Amino acid sequence: MTARPTQLDAHFAAEVMERPGGKHLLTCMACGTCASVCLVRRFYPSFNPRRVLHQASLGMREAVLSSPEIWLCSACDACYPRCPQEIHISEVMGALRDLAIEAGYEAPGPFPVVDSAVCSGCAVCARVCPYEAMAPARDEADPTRQTAHVDHTRCLHCGLCVAACPSGAISLEETNDQEILARVTADGWMEQRGLLSGGTQPRCLAFVCQWSIRSDAAWERAQRFGDQVRLVPLPCSGRVEPAMVLWALSRGVDAVLVVGCDDDECHYQRGTYIGRSKVYLLSEMLATMGYQQERVRFARQASADRYGLERHVQEMLATITTLTAPIAVTVD
Amino acid sequence: MEKLKLAVYWASSCGGCDIALVELGEHLLELAQLADIVFWPCATDGKYSDVEAMEDGSIDLTLFNGAIRTDHDRHLAELLRAKSRLLVAFGSCATEGCIPSLSNIRGAAYALQRASIDNLTSDNPDGIVPCAEYVVPEGKLSLPALESRVHTLQQIVPVDYSIPGCPPHHDQVWRAISQIIAGELPARGATIGADPRTVCDQCPRTRTGRIHVSRFLRVHEGEPAPDTCLLEQGYLCAGPATRAGCGALCIGANMPCRGCYGPPEGVADQGAALLGAVTAGLEAKSDGEIRAALESIADPVGTFYRFSLAASILHTLGSDGEGPNQSCVASQEDRP
Repeated sequence: MTARPTQLDAHFAAEVMERPGGKHLLTCMACGTCASVCLVRRFYPSFNPRRVLHQASLGMREAVLSSPEIWLCSACDACYPRCPQEIHISEVMGALRDLAIEAGYEAPGPFPVVDSAVCSGCAVCARVCPYEAMAPARDEADPTRQTAHVDHTRCLHCGLCVAACPSGAISLEETNDQEILARVTADGWMEQRGLLSGGTQPRCLAFVCQWSIRSDAAWERAQRFGDQVRLVPLPCSGRVEPAMVLWALSRGVDAVLVVGCDDDECHYQRGTYIGRSKVYLLSEMLATMGYQQERVRFARQASADRYGLERHVQEMLATITTLTAPIAVTVD
Repeated sequence: MEKLKLAVYWASSCGGCDIALVELGEHLLELAQLADIVFWPCATDGKYSDVEAMEDGSIDLTLFNGAIRTDHDRHLAELLRAKSRLLVAFGSCATEGCIPSLSNIRGAAYALQRASIDNLTSDNPDGIVPCAEYVVPEGKLSLPALESRVHTLQQIVPVDYSIPGCPPHHDQVWRAISQIIAGELPARGATIGADPRTVCDQCPRTRTGRIHVSRFLRVHEGEPAPDTCLLEQGYLCAGPATRAGCGALCIGANMPCRGCYGPPEGVADQGAALLGAVTAGLEAKSDGEIRAALESIADPVGTFYRFSLAASILHTLGSDGEGPNQSCVASQEDRP
């Protein structure tokens, strides 16, 4: 994009800097460290925080405010501790979004959709949302009730609310149970036999936070296990559905592995902690039931650990082969 | 109009479901006008042989409460299924397994041992565990033998409708019975006698959705504020994952919901749904903090699946444990 002087707004940078979070805009020296560590770029290669900041500082008001890129930053703050100028880029992005909203622009979404006939207004989605994008409020159709409302200006479509909703009232494109289930069962994978169902090879279902794997190469290396492992990407390990884990085990899958970000590296701030707490609780409950709790595991994938995914899968498969079959009972 | 033939039966239950029927109060008089009670062991005189002598399908409606724990429960479930046009699973035990099915966690042998011998309040110096058959000089005495697992009614015989609750609230019971009598019924297999959505829909407390907790509390560990969401105060409340219908009774008494109305419509596993709802409000930023928070949940299976274990997916992963050793025949000579 070429910037012509007539399209430039000389006051724009000052306007951004007056906003909460925007004051370090002009501190940027365009080194590009942020772009090199940014997780968003694996899925949106065009995203470049440095360029957004640069455009804003030049006064390219319309270009910046209309850009879908300002909505892509999830405030994971992977760049913040690495920025030599100590710019809190996610806060600058926040300031830009504020201005965009005021100028009438909307975030591109997708956004969760609440079925208000099913929603009870329990506020579970509001508690799990890392961005305060969900809140219980008076229902439009029935003012005597409270239902969940989605703030499109805050939502970053992580899917945590979809997983947390105990009524199944929230749907989100690409992230619904049916879509995740379709990835699990594709090509008849659930019908293949693992050690627990009379086969000779272990069979492991792995839900993997898409952001925790930093490169396509790491993802591809983990494909070498073939049908022994079904890798299912999730937008966040916190999106893991406890009922789906139990269902997979009840259908004879040997183990369920959940791979999520390491401490302080979660793309969605608290998602990894939510994911872990679900897996730890599930594992404890399986032990109570006399089922081998080793069959459910959460693996922390550190950002610098390029061979992590492969290793986590390998370790899970090794664990499976050391376990004897539990006496599982199918209840009619 | 010919009067309906009504039967009520209790299998493995506490008797609370029968009380829920008695609580119909003056509606019982209306019910007596509309229906003849042909069998109700708790309230009327009757013999199993009377039921066995009935023609198949001759009972219009059977309200069956209690889980299936013994071979006798199973026999009555099969018998009443054959004799009834409509078989309704009545209450949490029949629909979801309820408290009795928590014994499936450790199995029937453990339950017998625990109840007969290990309990602190058991005074049983000879260590006697009940036997299915016992020989005395006058003949042989028998007890219904425990099955290895507690089942829901639906897991034994096909069920037409379910009325949830431990016990079902009497207003809901009357509504369901009126629905049945009027023939205004949803498709077979549906849940009746409940409201749409979850307990939170009927709970008057304020929920902000902005409060997180770093540990959970049990009811004896504090005095909850009366106006704000119990989960946001750290109390493990099953409301978000529990079908509405009770009118949020426990909440009104400043007690968290325990989950007795089972999972909401379309949710297969109440415990898994509740687990997701509870962890949603957790404030913890390391494994250590998560573990510490989760440790404050005493007995997760018993808490999350208190009423619905037998009907859950988790239950299918449990082992049978040791079966009950009840095939034994004991006699007085065996006594030490």
